[in-house]
Amino acid sequence: MAPSRGDSLACARRIFAACNCPRTSLLAPRRSYSSLLMGRTAPWSLSLPSKRPVAYRRFSSFVEKLADPSNKLQSYISSSDDPYLNLSIEHVILQKSPADSTVLFLYVNRPCVVIGRNQNPWTEVNLGILNGTRQMQNPKGSEPPAMRPVDLVRRRSGGGTVFHDEGNLNWSITCPRNDFTRDKHAEMVVRALRKLGIQRARVNERHDIVLDQGHERRASDPHDTHRTLYTVDQGTLPRPLKVSGSAYKLTRQRALHHATTLLSSPNLHIIPQYLRSPAKKLIEAKGVESVSSPVANIGLDVKAFQKCLQAEFANMYANLGTPSIIETVHDEYLNIPEVRKGYEELRTDDWMWSQTPQFHLSLDPSVDIGVDMDVHHGIIKSVDFKGSLLSTEAQQDLRIMLLDQKLQDIHNWTRFLQTRLKKWDERSAAVARRLDELMPIPAPSMSMSD
Amino acid sequence: MAARYSVARAARQLTSAAARKPSPFVCQRWQQASQAQRLFSVSAALKEKKYTEDHEWIEMSADGKTCTLGISEYAAKALGDVVYIELPQVEMEVSEGDAIGAVESVKSASDILTPISGTVAEVNSDLENKPAQINKDPEGDAWIAKITVVEEPKGKLMSKSEYTEFTEEA
Repeated sequence: MAPSRGDSLACARRIFAACNCPRTSLLAPRRSYSSLLMGRTAPWSLSLPSKRPVAYRRFSSFVEKLADPSNKLQSYISSSDDPYLNLSIEHVILQKSPADSTVLFLYVNRPCVVIGRNQNPWTEVNLGILNGTRQMQNPKGSEPPAMRPVDLVRRRSGGGTVFHDEGNLNWSITCPRNDFTRDKHAEMVVRALRKLGIQRARVNERHDIVLDQGHERRASDPHDTHRTLYTVDQGTLPRPLKVSGSAYKLTRQRALHHATTLLSSPNLHIIPQYLRSPAKKLIEAKGVESVSSPVANIGLDVKAFQKCLQAEFANMYANLGTPSIIETVHDEYLNIPEVRKGYEELRTDDWMWSQTPQFHLSLDPSVDIGVDMDVHHGIIKSVDFKGSLLSTEAQQDLRIMLLDQKLQDIHNWTRFLQTRLKKWDERSAAVARRLDELMPIPAPSMSMSD
Repeated sequence: MAARYSVARAARQLTSAAARKPSPFVCQRWQQASQAQRLFSVSAALKEKKYTEDHEWIEMSADGKTCTLGISEYAAKALGDVVYIELPQVEMEVSEGDAIGAVESVKSASDILTPISGTVAEVNSDLENKPAQINKDPEGDAWIAKITVVEEPKGKLMSKSEYTEFTEEA
């Protein structure tokens, strides 16, 4: 059954592509939507899912095959570099794959910063430079290669903040919850790395993958994925370099383990800039704080490692047979209603900003503007002034204005305050400037063409 | 999460330049206008502590109007060290099967599902400061929320012994 379905999908895709092009070119200029997507997406996709047009039926076979109980072992790779789309396809895999199946999914995203489900973007990310990169992309095309648009994404799994780009391969395994351990698939990836000659790779105590930097060779079992010839005692130098970070999402029956793999990122030197926030020391946040680690590139080609990892996966689960589905997913999968739903959820301001766990911003009057703020579920719940230079009247106005204000709707503090405060002077301008520095809300994460 | 304060929301809709469409999240249901509270109490069978296949427990108050919800000891053990708990908001309307919060442990996120429909009457705010409590006493002090129930739960609920059997099978 599976092969014939595969054929019909491939066939459907060809027909789809053929009839899609002319209409797309007519419609594209009118939409302020991603040209990346528009270029390959059917115009009717915009009306989904209410009308369930032709495209729906053509791509619904993805979910059908994914959910077919006979497909115990499945292997997917994405040709899309859209982080929202890839995370949403991954989420559909978690929700729809059979309870006893094991599914591999590989994808590479365009440059983006991805925070964990329960993290605070203001403390984890240098939002000011994300803003900067977004604004710089527009006019003259003269930006240095490092300053390309960088998306900000909140994923559904736990854990800390990571940077993705074209030199980073994301691998994900969805498997039965009862078979799951946090190390199991990290060990699989270490075996794949060692087959390509990366003998210093091992799984560490945080279930991440590191490269040992020791100088001397010490005795070690070559099959031990938690130790190499170069492992030094924990806490002693030289410190291992992290090359892969893991996170998990658990449901009743299923476990999703996904992780980054830094193979050949051209951005290693600037990653720390993106992940260092000017507000970090001033915010006391509930939720999950990232543990920062020195990172390195493994120095492998993305394509070569993908192949090796797919082979290692097939090898590990050979007892279940060969993968009954091996498929490339792509941008047009956004037409699948289940995928689109997850995609749109990830792109809402509510998910990105208001999902932030409760936090307290404290700007000391002796060195700062003397404002304290409590934010719950993205809404300002208290504003206090201590030794502020603002007039009592301005303080009162500001408090009334900000209480119960949703932070995500203040894209520019200066503009926001200037249009609302009765008196605008040097002091209020200074307060607004400082808040713009510390608490920016980058423009909604539009696609590249916006 | 979207605003759960209707006054604040109304104010924002007036002031916000870009009126946003409601979030398509699960939690969209949380925003629904609250219905008039119906008087309701569940049947006697539910008054003993019950467990779900998702490893939550519920226990009815003596008057059968409010139920306390938490995660089972089995679940707490399986999750490992809990570092964060996202609690639901008081007065939020919840429907059976909704994700009303989440637990994070060792880089893993798992949703907390409610097996019962109703309105969140109280949450255990202590857990915000001490999430690790969940590992210590998940079926006692570390309860998660109290829900004023509006209808009999429809899903499968197990007694303590049935649940123990269920977890041993797994």
